[in-house]
Formats: sequence, structure tokens, C-alpha cells
Amino acid sequence: MFNRFLTLSIFILIPVLAFSQNCSLTLSGHIKDANTGSSIEYAEMQVESTNKGVVTDSTGFFQISNLCKGEYHIIINYIGYETKKVFVKLVDNLTIDFTIEQSVNKLDEVVVTAKKATKTTQKVASLNHQSITDNADENLGNMLKSIAGVSALKTGNGISKPVVNGLYGNRLTILNNGITQSGQQWGNDHSPEIDPLVANNIRVIKGTSSLEYLGSNLGNVVLIEPKKIDKDPHLHGSTNYTFETNGLSNGLNVQLQKYNPNISWKINGTLKKSGDKKTPNYYLTNTGAEEVNLALQLEKAFSHKLFTDLYFSTFNTELGVLRGSHIGNLTDLEDAFQRDTPFFTKDEFSYTINAPKQKVNHHLLKIHTKYFLDETQQFNVTLAAQFDNRKEFDVRRGGRSDIPALSIQQFSYFAEAKYQEHFNHQIHLKTGVQLNIIDNTNNPQTGILPLIPDYLSYETGIYLIGTKKLNKSFFEIGTRYDNVNQNVVAISRSLPREIVRYDNIFHKLGTSLGWRYSITDDVLFSYNLGFATRNPAINELYSFGLHQGVSGIEEGNINLQTEKSLKTTLGLNANIKTKASVDVLAYYQKVNDYIYLDPQEEIRLTIRGAFPVFEYKQTNAEIFGLDFSGKYHINKSLKVKLNYSFIKGNDLRNNVPLINLPSNNIGTNVSYEFTKPIIIGKKQLDNLNIELFDQYVFEQKNILPEQDFVAPPKGYNFLILKIASNIQFRKTRLRFTFKINNILNVSYRDYLNRQRYFADDLGINAILGIGFIF
Amino acid sequence: MSKIQTILAAFFVATILIISSCKKEDPVIPNEEEVITTLKYTLTPDSGGTPIVLSFQDLDGEGGNAPIITGGTLDTNATYTGSMELLNEQENPVDNLTAEINEENKDHQFFFQSTIPGLSVDYNDSDANGHPVGLETTLTTTDAGTGTLKITLRHQPDKFASGVPDGDITNAGGETDIEVIFDVNVQ
Repeated sequence: MFNRFLTLSIFILIPVLAFSQNCSLTLSGHIKDANTGSSIEYAEMQVESTNKGVVTDSTGFFQISNLCKGEYHIIINYIGYETKKVFVKLVDNLTIDFTIEQSVNKLDEVVVTAKKATKTTQKVASLNHQSITDNADENLGNMLKSIAGVSALKTGNGISKPVVNGLYGNRLTILNNGITQSGQQWGNDHSPEIDPLVANNIRVIKGTSSLEYLGSNLGNVVLIEPKKIDKDPHLHGSTNYTFETNGLSNGLNVQLQKYNPNISWKINGTLKKSGDKKTPNYYLTNTGAEEVNLALQLEKAFSHKLFTDLYFSTFNTELGVLRGSHIGNLTDLEDAFQRDTPFFTKDEFSYTINAPKQKVNHHLLKIHTKYFLDETQQFNVTLAAQFDNRKEFDVRRGGRSDIPALSIQQFSYFAEAKYQEHFNHQIHLKTGVQLNIIDNTNNPQTGILPLIPDYLSYETGIYLIGTKKLNKSFFEIGTRYDNVNQNVVAISRSLPREIVRYDNIFHKLGTSLGWRYSITDDVLFSYNLGFATRNPAINELYSFGLHQGVSGIEEGNINLQTEKSLKTTLGLNANIKTKASVDVLAYYQKVNDYIYLDPQEEIRLTIRGAFPVFEYKQTNAEIFGLDFSGKYHINKSLKVKLNYSFIKGNDLRNNVPLINLPSNNIGTNVSYEFTKPIIIGKKQLDNLNIELFDQYVFEQKNILPEQDFVAPPKGYNFLILKIASNIQFRKTRLRFTFKINNILNVSYRDYLNRQRYFADDLGINAILGIGFIF
Repeated sequence: MSKIQTILAAFFVATILIISSCKKEDPVIPNEEEVITTLKYTLTPDSGGTPIVLSFQDLDGEGGNAPIITGGTLDTNATYTGSMELLNEQENPVDNLTAEINEENKDHQFFFQSTIPGLSVDYNDSDANGHPVGLETTLTTTDAGTGTLKITLRHQPDKFASGVPDGDITNAGGETDIEVIFDVNVQ
């Protein structure tokens, strides 16, 4: 198999010698305000269908080089201005000025990836539309791993949740189109119910506080943001198809949009099907997956002051869990550790998904209305409803494998009123109130006492955030209060079974302070300090029973108190003559009454044998680390990138390390982009880009032997080759991506993947992607 | 500005007041028909006399009270006819799950491991493939001794694997549905 790819790669490389046409055209000019004519500094420009993008300098000047002859759409983005898409036909070097119009909604939160334009003092890293579609084979958790300081906590390859600077699950807020994702994140084996392909931009805020959003407030946020509909009256869209050799996976994503003064619409759909994945040596039996997702976006401007948009998304998946990872008791678990190949491993590939498996449906409906009282004041009202239906199937006796062993339905309703005002002297204020209701109900058809009880939770929040720009400094200060009311109905574990009620009221407080300072135009320094509290989640308080996700009996603790966290971050961003850039973030977080799942000395005897017992406990903890990313442009074509992240966490009360923290890792990326097109027959490959990415994940040494069933796996090296190019076919421009993951087909296990107890991680995987925009 | 803030604050207070009066409705308690609470291994001496019953009973399942485990005393150089019974005593009337195992006998097998020298258990039953199940057995003793007898029920074991048809659990795989250990005295 590998040889075939090698031949193919060589085949693609050979035509390099045959180029003829000039591909070193330059497009340059200025970006100006349409009304005032003043130059706009730091506006972001992106050439659609390529990975080219620039930011204007302090005089509003831009220069995009190494362009081939052809037709391009250029997207101009600047905060407070309407996003503009312009069409350019390039025959020769071109100097042209573009104007962009200030949006009436001066205060609108435009998403800008250029770091200098961010309206926050917090560190923001983002994935743009191109990198999302180029990695369409990955799920959300895996996709975000390319950002320094972000890892994924996994169960197999299909179930993956993001970990940002050591925080995940209940401590990490995920926002899907501005709405806090409400799902059933009861364990490490539950991944967020989001299709990343719906998003045109994914941002990760690595900060001290996210006071504007409902959620944990402990610092980090992942924002999944579908882009607003382009103001283009023609029907536009894109299609992306992905094929993977490992798991024989097929994925298709289609996006269509049309602007209309009456009502604009956008539709986005994804279909995915994959079968058993493979390690270098054996199939991972029963690891197939199916996914059907759809999102609909409608936008209407009632006047130049009143705008309403509606967003509906549905996410539906069926995920197989490695058959050999489903255990009966401690003896089975110990047996599994001793094996080279997991039990139940079959010799042949299959698309069939049997128990154990998960079936998850998640639907979101959101209506948002924005009203501009005048040029400086804006009022927003958002209403949203979510429905999450999670069913987990185990291997059961008596034909019960078709009856879910866990079946929870969760409805959540969200309402928000938000007000923003822009004052003189560059002061900006934002305030809002929010209400969120969660209604979680177990389906009794399971015939098993539920792990998580039924509950009704109300959260009411209020916040105020202010920013001020003063010379070279930018300040941000905010505060937030939440009242959380949990109404829980559990079933007793003693006989006869009885209903037990719990009523809890928690108060959450959050406050943060940020300062950003431009030392020079190219060197930016930022400092943040935040304090936040988090109330214990339902699973931490009341879960009870056998949890496959922890390979043991999990017990909640009704005496848990609110977590209190103090976090500080220090960031530095420097650009050196546009040739090099360095981005560093150091953080320290202290959490008092940190809630964690503690392995107990007790081994519980049941008729099924002995099980380890895990109980939720509290301690004082610290998490600190450093994320580094550096880029260097050796010349026009050759780029080198380096990512490094270091993280360490300690349980300060028991003087032991914190478990489930990502291993330190270092990533090196070398990419070469051909400045001239490559001719193959009558077609030419534009912007051919070859990229080699190597990631070394260190062994997790910061853990004691008694903290886990088996020792953490050895460090490993993971190599990825990526080739991408655009080809013009008449009026459409096709983008091809060809990627090989784990080129050396090494056997490895990852500390953050729970499947490491049972099996190796994925072997070589070749991925072909074809996309076109019309 | 101040007007809007007042409205927002009022909305905030009102919602807190309204919601504190709502209650979640009572859940339906699931019918735990799959649960095995009790295992009884009845050993009837071939020479006649009172049967010995080894039993494991855990009425409230995984949590709560510890299980009640009853071992037994066997004679030396004796042969017993063993009969396995699995019950769900949470149900009323008591649900006998032995038949459920027998119906799926191709997917189940009991294994018997003893630390007492000379104590052995042989299968007296078989599934459609001619492989043992272990609901019906013969237990033989030789010398006196004190130790344990471990009974394991595996769901979906590889009944064709080497040694498994002879009662060796090593290559069986599958998931453990039952694993209980009894104190046994042969005298």
C-alpha cells in the first residue's frame, strides 16, 4: 500500500520540471474606507480557494505575491466593516485600491483572525475555513489539535473531546454559533455533538475568563462559528468530498448560499460513513461510524437597524466502540492489558456497527435579533432550544443488546438579552442577562439504574464587560454572576428502590482583568488575570454505577463545593520583518476545591466480580504551562513552523500529579509552495503546496504508577505528509488535498486515548480530498 | 442606558423568582430484569445425603450492602452432582435466569477453578456445537484440604479456543457476567 502512495507522490512531483507559465504575479494596493478615504491598517485579506492571506500594514498597503494567472475572489475583512468579496482577473502584476464600507453595526462582533484586530486582551487561536475543509476527515477534537496547547481526550478515534491548556469537559465551554453547547458530557467517552464542517471559523480562546458566555467561566472557550451569508445575489456554494483508506471512509459536505434583500439563506450538509479502522497490525473491530448533519441559516434585514437571523442544525451519529474494550470486571481488564491483539479482533474489514455503540442526535434552533438604537447603541435578543438524545448500547444478555444500556434525553432552553454601547474616548460597554434551563430525563426502558439522575437545572446569569483603548494600551475588565438551581430526582441504591430528591443552589462569580500593550507595531504583549468559580456538575454530585468510560464503578459525592479558580496568563506576539513571527503564552492556574475522580483503595465485590471504585473528590490543584509557536519564511516558497506545548498539573493537597493532562509535545512543520504552476497535460496545478508535519509526543512522566491501571505509553513520533493544489476546470476551481497520516505506519499508543488500555492507535491512513467552490 | 439596565436587572430578578418554584417530575424506576442477584451451586452427593449449597447473594446490586457469600464443606473422595441456579430476587415473584442462560448456551460458559488439590469439576451438558455450558456438572474430591472454588460465567467467550472446551479459562475471552469465589473445606 505504502509503495503505491510513494509512486503517486513521485508522479506528482516529477512535473515540477515541466512548468512554463509565470506564476509570480503580484497583486498590491491599498485598502481604504469608502466614505472617508482613509487607509485601513491591519485589514485581513484572503484569496479564496488558496491558502494565501495577508494583512495590510500600518499605511493600509497590501501585497499578495506568487499568484498565478487566473480569476480570483478576494475577501476583505476588517472589524466594524462589511466583509467584502471582490473579483479580480489577473493577467499581469496588478496594483489596485479597494474600498470597504463601515457597517452601521459599528459594534458588531466581526470575527477577525488577524491578531492585531482582536477586540480582546485574551489569546485567540483560530482555524479558518480553508484549514477546516482541508481536514474534513477529522472530527472537532482532532481538528483542533493543530493549535499549540490544544489536545484531544479520546476513546478510540471517533470519540474525541478537546482539551485546552489542560481543561476539558465540564471545565471547557464550547459555543456552537454563540450558544453554549448543551450536551451530555458525562464522561471522557462522550464527545461534543458538533460537526466542525458547519463552521467557517473555529476559535480557541486561551484566556482567563469568558464572562460573556454561559458555562464554566474557568477560562478557555472553543467557538464554532458559521460565517454570515456573503452579500452576493448569485447562488454560490462549495462541495467537498473526502476518502480515507483507513476505515474506507467516505465523507461529503455540501454548502449552498444565496443573498436576497428579502431573505438570505445558507444550507450546509454532511454525510460520513466509515468502517473498522486499522492499526499497523490489526483491525479495530467495531470502530465504524456514520454521521448525517444538516444546518440551515436564514438572515433577514427588516431595516438598516433591525436584523434577524435563524439558525437550525441537526447532528446525528452512530459510533462503534472497539469490541475488545468492553469489559466485564477487573479480571477482564487485567486480561486485556496482557494481550497484544484485543479480544474479538476480526481478520476482515467491516462497515457493520454492533454493540457496544453510541447513537447521538443533537438539534439546535436559534433565533437572534439585533436592533441598533443609534450609531453607538445596540440591543440583541437571542432565543435558543437544544435537544440532545444520547443512547449507548452494551453487549447484553437475553437479546437486550438492541435496548440501550443508557438512554438520556436532554432539552435545554436559552434566552439572552444583551446591550452594547460605544462611548467617547474609545470606551465600549457590554452587558447582558441570560437564562438557561436544562431538563434531563432518563428513559426507563434501559432496565438499568441510570448512571446520571434526572434533573432540572436553571441558571440565571448577568454580566458587564468594559474595554478601553488608551494610546498603545487596550484594557478589558469584566464581571459576572450566575445563580444555579439544580432540582435532582435520583433513585435510591438500597432496596426497596425509592425516589430521593435533592435541591441545590449555587452562586457563581467571575471577574477578569486584561491589558494588552503594543510595544512596537510588531511586538504585542498581553496580561490577564481572572477569578472564577464553577459549581459541581450533576455527574460529579450524583453519578452512580458501572461506567465503562472509567472501567469501574463511579460514585458521585453530594458534599462537593464550588470550585474556585485564579488564573493568570502572559502572552507575547512578535513579528520580525514579516519573515518570522513568534507567539508565546504562559499560564498558571490555581484551582481550590478542584473536583476530580479519585481511584479508591476499595475494590467492590459484586456478582460480576471485583470492580475498582472511583469517587469524586476535591483538592487544591495547580495547572501551568507554556505554548510556543514560531514561524519563519526562509524564502517565498519555504516556510518552517514550530509548535511546542508544555503542561504540568499538581494535586497540592495530596502532593501527587493531576491525571489526564496532555503529554508535552513538539510539532515541526516544513512547507514548500511552488511559485509557478505545474503543468500536467493541458491542466495546471496552481499553488502546489507540499507540507511535512512531524509531531513528537513525549511520554507522560508526570504521573505515579498507582494513579492508573497501566503505565503511560512511551513517547512517539507521528509523521504527516500533505499535498494540496488548485486546478482550474473551465469556470470552476478544484482544490485537491492529499494527505498521509502516520506515514511510517508506527504502532503507538497515546496517553490521552482511553483505548490505549486495549489496542494500538491508528496505522497509516491516506486521505484524498476534492473540493470546489462555485 | 440606565433604563435598559433597570429592565435587564428586573428581568434577572424575576426569572430567579419564577424558576425556584419548578420541580422535576418523579422518574419511572426501571425494571432491572437483567440483574443477577443470586447464584446457587447445589452439590448433591452421589452417595446420598443432604445437598450442599454454595451461594452468593447481593440483592441491591453494585452499591449498598455487601453480598452474602456462603461456602461449604465437602467429603473426601466423593462425587457430587452439581446444578447451577441463577436468580433475580429483586423481582417478585423471583425471576429464574437459568433458563435465559440455557437459551443462549452457545454464548455462555461457566468455568470452575479450585485451589484445593484433587478437586475437579467436569461438564455434564453441552450446547448445539457440542461445547460445554456448565449448568450441569460433576464435582469430584480426593484428599482433604481447605481453599476456594471460583466460578466464572463468561458471555460471548471463544468456545472454540484451545483449552476452553476442557474448562480452561485462559483463552476464553468474552465478558465476565459472574465471578464469585467460595470458601470450601474438604474433610
